[in-house]
Amino acid sequence: MSHASTRSVLKGVREAIPLLGGYIPVSLSFGLVATQAGLTTWEAAAISLLIYAGASQFLFVGMVAAGSPLWLVVAMTLLINVRHVVYGPNLASWLPPSRHWLWLMHGLTDQVFALAHTRLPQLPEAERFSWFLGAALLAWVVWIVGTIVGSTAGEALTARWPLLGEIMPFALPALFLTMVAPRFTDKRWALALSCTIASALFFTLYGWSNVAIPLAAACGAICFYMVKFHPGKNTL
Amino acid sequence: MSTELWLAVIASALGTLLIRVVPFLWMQRRLGSDTGLNGIPQWISILGPLMIAAVLGVSLVPVNPGVISWAATAIGLLVTLLAWLRVRSMGLPVAAGVAVFGVVLIGVALAG
Repeated sequence: MSHASTRSVLKGVREAIPLLGGYIPVSLSFGLVATQAGLTTWEAAAISLLIYAGASQFLFVGMVAAGSPLWLVVAMTLLINVRHVVYGPNLASWLPPSRHWLWLMHGLTDQVFALAHTRLPQLPEAERFSWFLGAALLAWVVWIVGTIVGSTAGEALTARWPLLGEIMPFALPALFLTMVAPRFTDKRWALALSCTIASALFFTLYGWSNVAIPLAAACGAICFYMVKFHPGKNTL
Repeated sequence: MSTELWLAVIASALGTLLIRVVPFLWMQRRLGSDTGLNGIPQWISILGPLMIAAVLGVSLVPVNPGVISWAATAIGLLVTLLAWLRVRSMGLPVAAGVAVFGVVLIGVALAG
């Protein structure tokens, strides 16, 4: 790997660090929950390594522990992850063709997508592949390590620093706010984005967190297409 | 884990990977084709930013919702936004937001 590529990988790693505020506590919790459901540390780690999709992993373990039929467990896991279908096409024009995407797209989580969608167009074309590699690998490795730590020492950690598990996850809304704020470019987008944020919050508060992201995005899209402003009155 | 459970893990993993990789490769092929189908459909490019807004909405709910954590969230977001308006980058606003959010939560915990 050339010196410039290494620098781009490290840039990706550095810029993905804020994501860890959300990844560490959630992966610790997953490790803990998986152990409580009867899985060994290495089984929990294998799920994080192979499936690597937060909400669906919790559902997977929960349904297995509840004795649900395995075909239903797989179907529900995939149903929750189906929202990822629109992530790849949104990044495709910014990333160079490569055979490595076959495995690198494994790292395309909600958070990595949000970061990549914001940063890739701002980066020089030559840096984008290495940047994505660095950002996606850091998030993936931390997710797996977090699962192992949560599985082996999760209870002791949460008992010792109870507030840490509450404070670190705030890095995610703070990060996403800095990604969404620049997109409030006119009244039409402002309305659609506000509608999406409010719907997602509403669905999550009422226990629909598993489907909140696609449903809220659909609400925002309906808003975008239904409400139109006169050209002269669309500016913020 | 039983063999059946391992198969369920592998099926879920493969399915999730295909959900992520196939649309990406399809769009790259479409963008590179000579048939004139080389633009991203408008609905996909609109859904991208809306998905990020939805992830923001989902992540707004505090770990332990209550008056204090909601107030800390509102203050933390306000500080993040003000810092972003000033520097227009990600690192500093996120650090400032998390720090203020933490100070509010710890301050209230110590006072209580």
